[in-house]
Amino acid sequence: MMNSRFEWAIIFLIVLLLGGAWIVESRESNIEPKNFLLTEAPLVGHLAPDFTAQTTDNETYALKEYIASEGENGRPVVLNFWASWCGPCRMEMPAFDRASLKFADRAAILGINQAESAETIKRFAQTTGVTYPLLVDEDQNINNKYAVLNLPTTIFIDGEGVIREVFVGTMNQAVLEDKINALLEE
Amino acid sequence: MYPAINLGPLVLPTASFIILIGVWVCLVLAERIARRLGLDADIMSGLVTTGIIAGFIGARLTFVFLYWPAYQDNLLGIVWPLNSGFNIWGGIFFGAAAMFFYARAKQIPAAPYLDALAPVFVSGLMFVSLADFLGGPGFGTFTQMPWGIESYDMRRHPVQLYEIAAGAVALIAWWYYQKRRVFEGQLFLITTIIYGLGRLFVDAYRANTWIASGGWHGLQILCLLAVLVALFLLMRGSENAKIASA
Repeated sequence: MMNSRFEWAIIFLIVLLLGGAWIVESRESNIEPKNFLLTEAPLVGHLAPDFTAQTTDNETYALKEYIASEGENGRPVVLNFWASWCGPCRMEMPAFDRASLKFADRAAILGINQAESAETIKRFAQTTGVTYPLLVDEDQNINNKYAVLNLPTTIFIDGEGVIREVFVGTMNQAVLEDKINALLEE
Repeated sequence: MYPAINLGPLVLPTASFIILIGVWVCLVLAERIARRLGLDADIMSGLVTTGIIAGFIGARLTFVFLYWPAYQDNLLGIVWPLNSGFNIWGGIFFGAAAMFFYARAKQIPAAPYLDALAPVFVSGLMFVSLADFLGGPGFGTFTQMPWGIESYDMRRHPVQLYEIAAGAVALIAWWYYQKRRVFEGQLFLITTIIYGLGRLFVDAYRANTWIASGGWHGLQILCLLAVLVALFLLMRGSENAKIASA
């Protein structure tokens, strides 16, 4: 241990100066101009990772089909990660179904299953009467790309393909419609 | 990297699984360290258990508060199911507050128990980093270094492993000083300084860190403040110990 207050003061000062300098160096506004790159990542403000998946009826959906490209305007996309065993997912599905009908031509809602077979999803869709596309992700490729840990997770993507919000937990009709409207107003 | 472990029809979320192991390790560690430092193991277990339970409830309630519109028509959803919806900062705040009031109620002397709690805290945070590395959403900034890992189609710093390394250094320091302790509370302060400096340094490489207004890394500022306060208290403790021994 150190002996004098002077030694302590020197240590204190070194920590303050080096720590402060490191904080200034790490500041985001200092970093971004150096190596700014809008990359795909499951994080707000980043490009939504692209994917292609099929429904149980073998219809193919690709995220890039909805995203703006070469002069064409894109549409907001809502990705809802779910599983048939997940109670809260089932509870919020009617809200997603109604929203998919209400915003039919203006925004897309895609349900992405977590790790279940096409047969299970098909049976579930028939029982519940869900009409928006339920995509199969048995090997969890898309779930991994979006780092989905908890169900339900809902990801809001704007027409430019940028993630605007990651919402974990159940959502009611009003909240869902508010968030879609916010994307449409941008 | 591995968000879920598939066991036949069962899908086990890796992060939650690692956190559960972490809770168990922390409880075992708390008891053993209490015995090693000559403290009451039952009180120590009670303290840690109180912190964990209050932290869990606090994390849930904070999340519910932040996303109240999602729960106002479904009050049962607040308590069940609990497979999602926790806020770590709420958990830390309520956990720490509950431990404080538990200690007050049991009239536990703060300094020796903080010495014993230090490696438990650090181990818990190391498990959080491990859970984030194996199955969490965290990831580092870009790098060309040979130890970079492929994450979201880019080569990135394995920032969670850096955090674990910072924790390991802090634990080694705790172990080294526990046989050379000059005053009660010293181990806690030394561990705080080393782990705080480590997190201050490595947080620069975390891409999904908490960014405060103005682009500042919020965690780095908190760490620097904690380190400076701990340094000051370490100085005071050392001086008092010297006077007492003179």
